[in-house]
Parts: sequence; C-alpha cells; structure tokens
Amino acid sequence: MSSYLPVLVLFVLAVAFGLLSLLVSITLSPKARSQAKEAPYECGIVPGREAPERFPVKFFLVAMIFIVFDIEIIFFFPWAVVFRELGGYGLAVIGIFAALVFESFVYLIGNGALEWGPRQRQRRAEIVSPDRTLTSTIRRVGAEGRPAALEPAALAPAAHHAPGHGDHGHGDHGAAA
Amino acid sequence: MSALLLASEAAGHAAESLGFPLLPALVLIPLVGALVILCIPAERDDTIRLVAVLTAIAAGATSIVLLTQFATGEPGFQFQSSATWIESLDIKLALGVDGISLFLVVLTGILFPISLLATKPDHNPKGYYFWLTALEVGCLGVFLALDLFAFFVFFELTLVPLYMLIGKWGHGRRVYAATKFFLFTMVGSVLMLVSIVAVAFAAKAGDGGTVTFDLVKIATSGRVPTGWAGALMFFGFVVAFAVKTPVFPFHTWLPDAHTEAPTAGSVDLAGVLLKLGTYGFLRFALYLFPVQAHDFAPVLLTLGVAGIIYGGAVAAMQKNLKRIVAYSSVAHMGFVVVGLFALNPQAIIGAILVMVNHGITTGALFVLLGFLYSRRHTYELSELRGIQKSAPVFAGIFTLVMLASVGLPGLNGFPGEFLVLLGTFIAHRWWAVVAAGGVIIAALYLLWAYQRVFHGTPDDANARFPDLRFSERAVMVPLILLIVGLGVYPKPLIDRMEPSVRALIVHIEEANPGWVAPTSEHGNDLSPVVVPAAASGGHEGEAEPGAGAHTATAEEGR
Amino acid sequence: MSSLAAVLAQAAPGLTAGPAAAAPTPTITVPDIEWTALLPILVLGLGAVLLLTLTSLARGTVTRSGYAIYTVLVATGAMATAAPLWGRVHAWDHLGKWELSPPYGPFSAVAGAIGVDGFSVFITLLIGVAVILGALLADDYLRREGIDGPEYYVLLLLSATGGVIMAMANDLIVLFLGLETLSIAVYVLAAIHLKRVQSQEAGLKYFVLGGFSSAFFLYGVAMVYGATGSTNLVQIKDLLAVKVPTHNALLLIGLGLMLVGLGFKVAAVPFHSWSPDVYDGAPSPVAAFMASGVKAAGFAGLTRAFLLGFGQFASDWQPVLYFLAAASMLVGAIVGITQTNVKRALAYSSINHAGFMLMALQAASPKGVTGLLFYLATYTFMTVGSFGIATLAGRTGDGHHDLADYRGFSRTNPALAGLFVLFLLGQSGFPLTSGFVAKFGSIAAAVDAGSWHLAVIGMVSAAISAFIYLRIIVAMYMAESDTEAAEKAPKAARIKVPFGAGLALVACALATIGFGILPNGLNRVAGEAEPVLVKEPVPAAASGADGAGLTGLDLTTIPTTPTTR
Repeated sequence: MSSYLPVLVLFVLAVAFGLLSLLVSITLSPKARSQAKEAPYECGIVPGREAPERFPVKFFLVAMIFIVFDIEIIFFFPWAVVFRELGGYGLAVIGIFAALVFESFVYLIGNGALEWGPRQRQRRAEIVSPDRTLTSTIRRVGAEGRPAALEPAALAPAAHHAPGHGDHGHGDHGAAA
Repeated sequence: MSALLLASEAAGHAAESLGFPLLPALVLIPLVGALVILCIPAERDDTIRLVAVLTAIAAGATSIVLLTQFATGEPGFQFQSSATWIESLDIKLALGVDGISLFLVVLTGILFPISLLATKPDHNPKGYYFWLTALEVGCLGVFLALDLFAFFVFFELTLVPLYMLIGKWGHGRRVYAATKFFLFTMVGSVLMLVSIVAVAFAAKAGDGGTVTFDLVKIATSGRVPTGWAGALMFFGFVVAFAVKTPVFPFHTWLPDAHTEAPTAGSVDLAGVLLKLGTYGFLRFALYLFPVQAHDFAPVLLTLGVAGIIYGGAVAAMQKNLKRIVAYSSVAHMGFVVVGLFALNPQAIIGAILVMVNHGITTGALFVLLGFLYSRRHTYELSELRGIQKSAPVFAGIFTLVMLASVGLPGLNGFPGEFLVLLGTFIAHRWWAVVAAGGVIIAALYLLWAYQRVFHGTPDDANARFPDLRFSERAVMVPLILLIVGLGVYPKPLIDRMEPSVRALIVHIEEANPGWVAPTSEHGNDLSPVVVPAAASGGHEGEAEPGAGAHTATAEEGR
Repeated sequence: MSSLAAVLAQAAPGLTAGPAAAAPTPTITVPDIEWTALLPILVLGLGAVLLLTLTSLARGTVTRSGYAIYTVLVATGAMATAAPLWGRVHAWDHLGKWELSPPYGPFSAVAGAIGVDGFSVFITLLIGVAVILGALLADDYLRREGIDGPEYYVLLLLSATGGVIMAMANDLIVLFLGLETLSIAVYVLAAIHLKRVQSQEAGLKYFVLGGFSSAFFLYGVAMVYGATGSTNLVQIKDLLAVKVPTHNALLLIGLGLMLVGLGFKVAAVPFHSWSPDVYDGAPSPVAAFMASGVKAAGFAGLTRAFLLGFGQFASDWQPVLYFLAAASMLVGAIVGITQTNVKRALAYSSINHAGFMLMALQAASPKGVTGLLFYLATYTFMTVGSFGIATLAGRTGDGHHDLADYRGFSRTNPALAGLFVLFLLGQSGFPLTSGFVAKFGSIAAAVDAGSWHLAVIGMVSAAISAFIYLRIIVAMYMAESDTEAAEKAPKAARIKVPFGAGLALVACALATIGFGILPNGLNRVAGEAEPVLVKEPVPAAASGADGAGLTGLDLTTIPTTPTTR
C-alpha cells in the first residue's frame, strides 16, 4: 500500500497546481470586456444568418450505408495481400465476414433506408399508442364532444377506457392497428 | 471444558433415546403455521386467527414437553440435532438446549399464545398473524441455535417481522419507530456477522484446517484470538447484543419501538426479543470470548449500572404509561447485564432469572396496557385517573404485576434481582451498591404512575372504564400464576440452570489462568475480588500467558 | 528495454520469431478450431443475425410474441451447448446418454484465444439466464411502449454473444472484442425507447462514457503488450512466472488502465457516474439486463485478466481493487439513500453490490471466485426481479418510478408488492434469501484473505443501504393514508401482469428464496467453476491431454510484489 504514496502525492500536487493556476489567472489577469470581444467571430465578420441549415436526413442515411461497404473494403485489403497464403480457409473466413457485414445492408433495405420520396410504409410502431384512435385524437385536440369537466384520464394518452371507445378492453391492443 | 463436551455428548445420547426431534419440531411448527397462514385467503380472518393461535399453542406445548423431558443436573446441551446446510463452509443447522436457554425457550412458548390471544389487530389480520408467527420462528431459533451462522440467520429473521408489525399495525409515529428499530439493530448485527466470520476463520486451524461455525467447537478450540483482534471481534458481538438488549447508550430505539408497537408486538418485544441480546451476551460473548469478557467486564458493568439508574430516572419523568414501562425495561436489562458481567454463578443465575421474569411481568404489563388502550385509546397519564373505582379487577391485577416488576419479595421479580445484587456485591461491591439504588427508583416511578392512573376521582371518561371481560381475565391467569409461583419457589429453575452456568464459569476460569470466579464459596466472604497474590498480576492485560494456557486447554478439550 | 526484449525472446521464442521468420517464406498457420468450444458464441451470434435477416426479409409476418419465444429458444440452445462443455471440463464420461469426447479437463481453443473452463461455462450459463429473463420481461413491455420489433432481441443476443466471448477470453484482444460487442449493443439498447427523451439521453451518455472506457481498456492492453510482448494471458502469465520485468511501470500503468475500462463496465466507484442516469433512462428491461448480464460479463473480464493473467501481481492490484470495493460499497449505499426515484435507487444499490463482488474478487483466492460467482448468480435473479417490478409499475411511458408512485402499491397490487419486498430484502442481505448467503460468501472470502476491515466497511454499507430498500417498502406498505393515495390516483390501479413477465418474476422469486434456503447446490457448482488458464497443447510435443500445461489459480504460489527496487 505504501508504494502508492508517491502516486497520491503526485495526484495532490497535480490538483493543487491546476487550482492554483486558475486562481492566479483569475485574480491577476486584467479584464477589458467589450461587445466586439464577446462576439462569436472576433476578427470582424458580422454573422449574417444562423449556421445550422436543414437538409433531408436521407443524406445521412446514405452516408451511413456507405460505411457498411467502407468497412468491408478496409478488411478486404489486408486479406487480398495474403490471399494465396491463407488459401481456402481465408476465403471461407472472409466470406463469413462479408456475409455478416452485408446482413446489416439487408436490414437497412428491409427498413426502407433507400426509399426516397414520400414514405411508402408507415411503421405501425411509431403511432403513439394503440389506444389512440381517430375519435380520441379529435377529442383530445378539439373541444368536440368533450365533457364539461375535463377528466384527467382523458388527457393521458395511455389511460385505459378513455371516453369515446368504451368497449376497448385491455387485452386487444393488437387490434388497434 | 472437557467436562462440558463430555456432558454434551452424553446428553446427546440421552436425547436420542427420546426418539422425537423436539427442537426441530419447535422451530418448524411456527414456520409451517406461518406458511399455512400465507395460503389462507385474506377474507377468512377467523380461520387465520385460529391457525395462528393453534400454532402458537402447539409450539408452547412442545416447549413444555421439552421442559419436562429436560435432564436436570446436566450442564451440556441436550436434545441436540443437526443437519448440514452449506457444505463448503461446514455450516450446520445445529440445535440444542441447555439450562441457560431452556427457560427462555419456554418463556417464548408461553408468551406468544398469550400475546396472540390478548388482542386483535385493527386491520389486515392476515399479514399481522403471519408476521407474528414468523417472529416466533426467529425467536425460538435464536435460543436453540448452536451454529453461529444459523444463530445469525435466526437473529436477523426477527428483524423484518417486528419491523412490519410496528410499521404497519403500530400507533402514532410508527414508521419512524419501525425504521429506527430496524436500522439500529441492523447496524449492530452486521458488525456481528463480520465478527462471526472472523472468529470462525481464526479458529479453523484448530479443527484440522477446515472452517466450522459450530459454537462448541470454536469455543473449545482454544484459538479464539486474544489481544487486539480478539477484542475487536468481541466488540463486534457486544455491539450487536448491546443494541438488541438494549444497553445504556444504544437504547434510544426501544422507547419509540415500545410506544408505537401494537400490543402483541410490545409483549413479544419486551418479553422475548430483548432477551435475544442478553442471551447472546451469555451464550456467545461470554462463552466464545472468556478472556475479553473478563478483561472488559468493568466496562459492561458500568454500562449496565448506568442503564439501571438512567432507565429508572427517565422512566420517572415520563408522561406516557407505555414509555414508563419501556424505560423500566432499560433498567431491568441493566440488571441483567450487570449480573452477566459480574462473572460469578450467583449473578449469572440471577441474570437469567431476571430475563425470564422480566419477560413474564413486562409481558403482563403490556397486555394490561393493551386492555387499557382498547378502552381509552391513550397511554397519557394526564388522561387517566381513578380507574381503580370503575375497574377494580383490572386495578388489582395491575397492582400485582407492577409490584412484581418493582421486585417485591414473594413475587417473581425478587429472586433474580436479589441474586444479581448478591453476586455482584461479592465481585464488584460498589457497582452493586449503585445498582441497588435502581430498585428504589423502580419502586418510585411505578408506584407514582400507579397512583396517578388508579387513584383519585375519575372524570367522565374514566368513570365509564369497563372492567376486564372474562376472556381477558383468562389470559391473565397463567401469567399471574407464574408471577406468584416463580416468586415463591424459583428453585426448579435454579436447579436446571446451575450446572450449565457453573460449566460456563469453569470455562471462563480456564481461559483466564490465575483468576477464580469470586463466589462466597471460595471464602471470599463479601470482599471485592480477592485473588491469590501469586496470580493477581496474571490477568492484567497479558495476552501471552493466556494464549499459552489456551493451547493447553485445547488439548485437554479434545 | 533491450534487456526486456532479450527476456521476451528467451521466454517466448514463438512470439518474437514470428515476424522475423516471416520475411523469407510467409507461412501462416491456420488455427485448429475446436467448434464445440465456440458453439455457445456461435448459437447466440448466429441466432441474432438470423433473426435480423429473417425479419428484414419478411417484415411483419411474425406473430407478436414470436421474437421473445425465439430469443428464449436461442438462449436455451446456447446454454444447452454449454452444458457438455461443463461436463468435459469436469471430466464427465457422458452427459445423460451422450458420450463426451476427450480430452477432459479445461482446455484452450482457437490458438489459445479462447479458454473453456468451469468459470467461463458458468458465466455463459448466467448470461443465458439473463437473456431469457430479459426477453420475457421485454415481450409485453415493448408492445406496451409501441417499440416492438426484432431490434431489441437482436441486440440482446448480440450483447450476450459479447459477454460470452469476454467470459471465454484467454487473450486481451479477444477480451476487448467481447467487451465492444457487448457494449455497442447495449448502447443502442439503452436508447431503444425512441419516444422517451431520457432513454435517448441515457444511450448517448452511456455511449460517450463507454467509448472512453473502452479506449482506456485498449490503451491498457497496448501498454501490457509493450511490457510483456504478448496479449495472450497464458503467455503473459508464463513469462511473468519466469522473468520479472525490470521496469514494471509500463505493466502497472497498463493494468491500471485496463482496470478503468472494466471498472466502468461493472459500475465501480469512481467510474459509476453513468449508471444512475442510464439505469433510470434506459427501458426497464434493458436496465435489468445491464445490471445482470453486463455486470456478469464485466466481472468475468476482470477475473480473467487480473486474477488469471496477472495473479503474480496480485499484491499490486489488490490495494486498488480494495479501494474500488470500499468506495463502491460506501458511495452506492450513502448516495442511494437520498434517491427518490426507484430506478435510480436500484442503480445505486447495484453499485453497492458491485462493491461486494469486488470485495470477493480482491481476495484473489478460490474462495473469492466462488463467492463472486455465487453473488453474480443470485444477484442476477434479484436485480432482474426488481427491475421487472419496475417494468410493470412504470406503466405506459415507463415514467412512474418515483417513490410517490409506489404509495399504496401493496393495496392495489399485493402480489407484486410482496415479490418486490422479497427482492429488496434479498438485496439487503436478509437471511433466508440468496442475498444473505451471497454477502456471507463475499465476506468470508475477504476475511479469509485478511482484509477484514473491508468486510466491516461492506457490512456497514449493507446496513446503510438497507435504508434504500426500507424506503421503498415503507412507500409500498406504510405510506400514511395509503388508502387515500390508492383512491386518489387513478394510475395506481391494478396492474395486469403479462404472462412472460409473470413467469420471469416467479422464476426470480423462486431462485431468490431457493438459493437462500438451500444454497448448497449453487455453492458447489460455483466452487467447481474454477477459472484456469490452459496452454494450447503443442501438437508436436503431444503433451498429455490432461492438464500438462495447466497454470491454474494457485494462490499459495502468488509471490510478493515483484518489484526490484
């Protein structure tokens, strides 16, 4: 245990040095604030518009799909260099590897990653709650058909037996699709 | 020591001849009862109550059978039975009973049915009866366990049931009281767990290198450490028991727990659970650590005396009847601790007597307070007066029980306290003198409380105080019989305890060479700790000669 | 440094000779692959890939509980393939009617990269159990939250694959491979609840910090390689047994960095700060898997790397583990009692438990490993049970985890409340539950190894952490006016327990009670699950199959600090 003492001492010294430096610079440094100094670009260019801009998320998806092949290529290179020495074993191994990596591409395609344009398939899962139907949504948004005193249960999207579909039981979540 | 072992073996054979595993049955009966209660639907509360009461009565009857079958004059453990639990650590579910634990087992067996019969819960009876019955499993297990691991399991097992009982069926600040009780006891007992492991591993070299948690094997291995390590282990045990007992500075959970607990909880808490701590001192602290027990006896004696005086003084100042009884428990437990650490046969026998009799009297007091609460829904002294006029039977029984608690000769409180004071006076005169003052204080606060509650002119509410019903009187009958009977003729108890206590004293003497337990028999007639001059320096903090003697005794023990 | 190279050349000629000999005639020896040893990994990994492929190709045709059933079957299959390995390691002739092929005893496979011994099989089985329980809990949960799809199950199986790889790793690189497979899958799992901001936050937090810790680990592996010239644990151990490096600073720094990486995975203080946020934010079944499966894998990695590979350096890393254990136990307990969110409280209690397991590990003894495995096995059930209750009690949205939400729980859901009490008491180490025996084993190991002060710290922390559990019990059973609370809040209505979750909870409860009352069987199995490093048998030498190259955990020979100062 005692052999760790230098580590402890060093640790204390390091922390002390850091704190001391901060303290000294805070207390001793001259301060002259001005508006120009606190602007994002100090060198004179006045920012004209907000930097972030919107463009379709599909671009990112394509970039990410590219990574799949990118990784595959990276591993193909060293394999190609020793292709003959590895022989059939190497071919089998790289084949399994390529298949596994390609599997992720299958998954992406299966989830519609390359479908541009308006969405063809709506993922059912992304609907907020199976309990929410057209009627209940209209009720929730508008005042139409709503009882005078607002029931707390009607506000919670998940509340069972929300007014409007009284016969909607517990067991048949699945039927709401 | 060897005598102890031999005797225990002989007793083991004797118990085998009986053919019926009494002790496992004693633990299993409430366990099965609790499981049965768990299976009954909650709506059928009458059935649940019936099962709970029958279970408790069956366990009580078994304990009475145990009492009749017990071989008087045998110092060792009887009715031993054991089953392997965890092989790799040689942990056994070993049970056994000797003169020290016998009466505590019987006390548990008697008090539980009474506490069940005396009151009914105001809500959720299923949980209530389940936890009460589970509590009995833990209590009986503690008194019977001969394996340190099994002992700890049972010791902890009492925790949750009582926590639930106080927290769910208690009065007023029940959650606070329950949590305080749980945390205090838990902190104490976790340290004991480390001590248990430590002492087992320290002693393992003595038994061919394998670990054992067997109480007798460890205690007689002669390898329980002395010096610093031993002292730390000793205090691991002592703190756990001191919290449970409770000894003076660790007592603050007790008044809260007592006051807020439901009646049955209070009865069992005062009657049985406090004895887990004092029994632990006797069975584990003294038996496992004779050297440390001897060395640190003055510390514990002082704490015990402080508990007597402090408990009495604070009790006198209380405005709540239940708190008075709670603080009187602190004082009585002080007597027990003083008796135990006086380290001579009279005092220890006296201490066991106080344990048993305090269980009976305080249990009875709490039952009576339960009756009072069911009528008036208060324990405040300011609310109660002149009850003697409206409820003479209640007042009469209360007087009797209270006088027993004060220690009136002829009632059961007296012999124990007398023997404790006698034994302590021989060993440590000045402690005994101060402790005797506690008896006077007890008379003061109890009689004063009695005067305020029962005398005077009753106001409206108290004038309509209904007297005890037949069922309530019936519950009190066995307690009154015990109070009078044990007060007049405690000899049967002493006869059964004495061999075990003397064997323990011999064990302590062997571990502390040069020290002889101060008794009147040694001709020390009332002079404080007269030790032969040659040996008088022998025990003053010298671990080395003690260790040498240890190995010698260990060989002897084998 | 040149002397070190000489040492290396002397001790492990095969290593340094490799690149030198490669120059004239490049011959690459194809490793002999023992497929039976890899079967658990293959079943889990291929099971995951197959599920993903099938569901990608034919989306929406699988019945709703199909994924969960499939996952349970795959995990069961992996466990079934691990069972004959157990038999082989323990030199059984046959398993039932199935003849087991020699060689008997622990062995290494895939050019010494994979080690199959009792320990790795035990952890494999444990991870299998965690996967099954995680799948059962998740089935209804995912549907309830509207995130049902194969992804959860695929990731669960993949992370389990990583865990099993970690448990079997005989090489630090393989260990890292397993660590990453495990971690990356769990990062995504933590963020899988797309509609909960906390879940996204948890995923990101876990990812960033986890990436850091993986980097630390890898850096440590690099340092160790620099110091010893190998990443293979067997070779490292053999080398260190023969020669003591004159400058072991590099090695010690490497060990320290590896400890940081693995300490993060098991959430040991001071690398714990992610765990409350992540456990709280992640979907409850994921938190259950993180506290059980991931923790088991992390401890498997710690055991293999430190206890087996660097057993000789025990006197160097023991003090560090000592500190980690003490800090984990105390911080987990003390900070835990201030939490008002049940999942956060469970996270802190999980940190506390990690401390107990570290305490068993720092004993560096067979007893310690037994204690650790027993603890891991029992804790898996207790924590999955607890998080399982939280899964159900969280209700739609997975957001009702405040202590106040549990008020009157015993009235509205007596059965669930009773189970929760059981799991909480188990975690607090109450006798007759498995938690008590586990704590006891851990303490016994520590005391036996002479660190009784750590045992005292641990038990004090156990007493403190009991308050965490008490608060939840109080909220469920003793909340003032709990009837009022039950009537007032419509959300505190009775919870319908789905079949899968109910099955998992009952299994957890039975295990918690069963291993508490009859711990013998599990204890014996944990005792037999001894971690061993076995040298890959050299084909030419044809050394005897049974344990010729056995360099097992031999504590009597652990030397004192091999510093040369």
